[in-house]
Amino acid sequence: MNPSVGLIAFVVVSVATAVIGFYGLRISRTTGDFYVASRTVPPWWNASAIGGEYLSAASFLGVAGLILLSGTDALWFPVGYTAGYLMLLLFVAAPLRRSGAYTIPDFTEARLDSRLVRRVTSVVVVVVGWLYIVPQLHGAALTIGITTGLPAWVGSVAVVIVVCLTVVAGGMRSITFVQAFQYWLKLTALAVPVLYIVFALAGTGSSAVAPAAVNPTGLAPAGPYQNISLLVALLFGTLGLPHVLVRFYTNPDGHSARRTTLIVLGLLSVFYLFPTAYGLIGRTFAPELARSGQADALVLLLPGQLIGGTAGDLLSALVVAGAFAAFLSTTSGLVVSLAGVISQDVLGGSVRGFRLAAVISAVVPLGFALATDSLALAGSVGLVFAFTASTVCPVLLLGIWWRGLTDTGAVAGMVTGGILCGGAMVAGSVLGAGTPFWLAQPAAWSVPAAFTVMVLVSRATKGRVPRTVARVMTRLHTPERPLVTER
Amino acid sequence: MTRVRVTAPLSAARPATASREAAEESEVGQLFVRSLIRTQLRLALVVAGGFLLVLGAFPLLLAAVPGLAGTRVAGIPFDWLLLGAGIYPVTGISAWLYIRSAARNEARYRDLAEDK
Repeated sequence: MNPSVGLIAFVVVSVATAVIGFYGLRISRTTGDFYVASRTVPPWWNASAIGGEYLSAASFLGVAGLILLSGTDALWFPVGYTAGYLMLLLFVAAPLRRSGAYTIPDFTEARLDSRLVRRVTSVVVVVVGWLYIVPQLHGAALTIGITTGLPAWVGSVAVVIVVCLTVVAGGMRSITFVQAFQYWLKLTALAVPVLYIVFALAGTGSSAVAPAAVNPTGLAPAGPYQNISLLVALLFGTLGLPHVLVRFYTNPDGHSARRTTLIVLGLLSVFYLFPTAYGLIGRTFAPELARSGQADALVLLLPGQLIGGTAGDLLSALVVAGAFAAFLSTTSGLVVSLAGVISQDVLGGSVRGFRLAAVISAVVPLGFALATDSLALAGSVGLVFAFTASTVCPVLLLGIWWRGLTDTGAVAGMVTGGILCGGAMVAGSVLGAGTPFWLAQPAAWSVPAAFTVMVLVSRATKGRVPRTVARVMTRLHTPERPLVTER
Repeated sequence: MTRVRVTAPLSAARPATASREAAEESEVGQLFVRSLIRTQLRLALVVAGGFLLVLGAFPLLLAAVPGLAGTRVAGIPFDWLLLGAGIYPVTGISAWLYIRSAARNEARYRDLAEDK
């Protein structure tokens, strides 16, 4: 691939992100403006923004790469990433919006009336965010290394610099527009090359005689345990992601939070058809990428390999642009929500504190990313989902639906889930390829363990059920305004 | 350029409506709220359970009917079509059904809470 293609694509996406960010900032300047603007953000914009923030390196590069490696087993990843939003809709969307909480620590503090719960939740959220940023930076390193020939670390550092500049300068405060734009950019960047390739192959008549999709690695198919554990992680991990939950605040009320989630489901369903198609095409026509250890780069390399020439270069540029949109949008969404938590809880909530916190939020995972090697992107993000499902998910679900939850129970459950799942992740990275399957996919036992501890300890400390529980539960579950406009 | 922090006004996200205040204070109001929560939870569990049953049925179907996985529809193997595209309509339909029923439950709660 022509090395300048990757660089140009990266620069164009970064500049576009900054420009849209600043343009959006100008029209929403004060707190009042921001609230008014956020109340009038139509569900379509809001849903596009959620999609833009959610579709990370794992979705854009990792899913196709994993499908190339392990075939239909990997199809559970896009299914789980999407179905996670169904769970979010069923159990969290409307009550969380009605709680009025802006961050997860805000919610747990209001629900359980406890500063300690707030602090523990904040720590968990920051860990989740950092763990989630690392694979984005790995993806950026991979993309820069493969498309430009520069040293791979340049990619990670460049993403962190762009994110820090836009967040610190204030551009990312008008995040809705940027994120919505990036959803459509990512969709275009995957869809156009796939359709072009399909038509080109159909034109040469090769799809009629396409060889059967092969298994390029000879990996054994995953057992039912791995698939089920993965689904537990993805289904329950989605409803605790800090950067996703923040976005629900921009819905005017609980009912529109539900409608927004429905649109998000539609947008994700359309999006994930394309990485799946990429994976199938790659398995059929470019299985050698899996053997050379470049599976995650499948999406980047396929257009050049199958089309070639100027058209191949243009399609490659589009894909690289989409990939950077994925790294930038997810990383900046996470950095903004982490900076909110860190500055509020540690630095006293000033604007200076927010800027400092933003830099801390981005630089710490950069250190991790530079010190570690990239695993399969979809796999490492899958582990982050397992961690979220073992910590944030139980406290949210029980907090919303069970009056008996106490602050002691919440803390005990989060700590248990965090230690079990975190321990499994550390053990897995130490043991490497020899990790037993139940340790490599911990969600199937760490999530039930966290729930169990949370319920048992809450039962044992019944006296600590907050006195505000009736008022809070009423607020969470009753509709906001007369439903005369509803059918 | 002034920068502002945007956080949630925790206690006053929006003015509580008259019916909300009544629901928070009176015993009858709390009865209605408890019943609404139970209904919504049951609805969510039923939809989630139904969805997971369909999700589990897909691989079982492929395992139970030999040769089905390799059948090609328009050049695409059937197992890829089923898992790669067929599940998304199921999530969409589940979500749509849930939203309708959840809104209906809330309307019924409002009728009760305001009639008393």
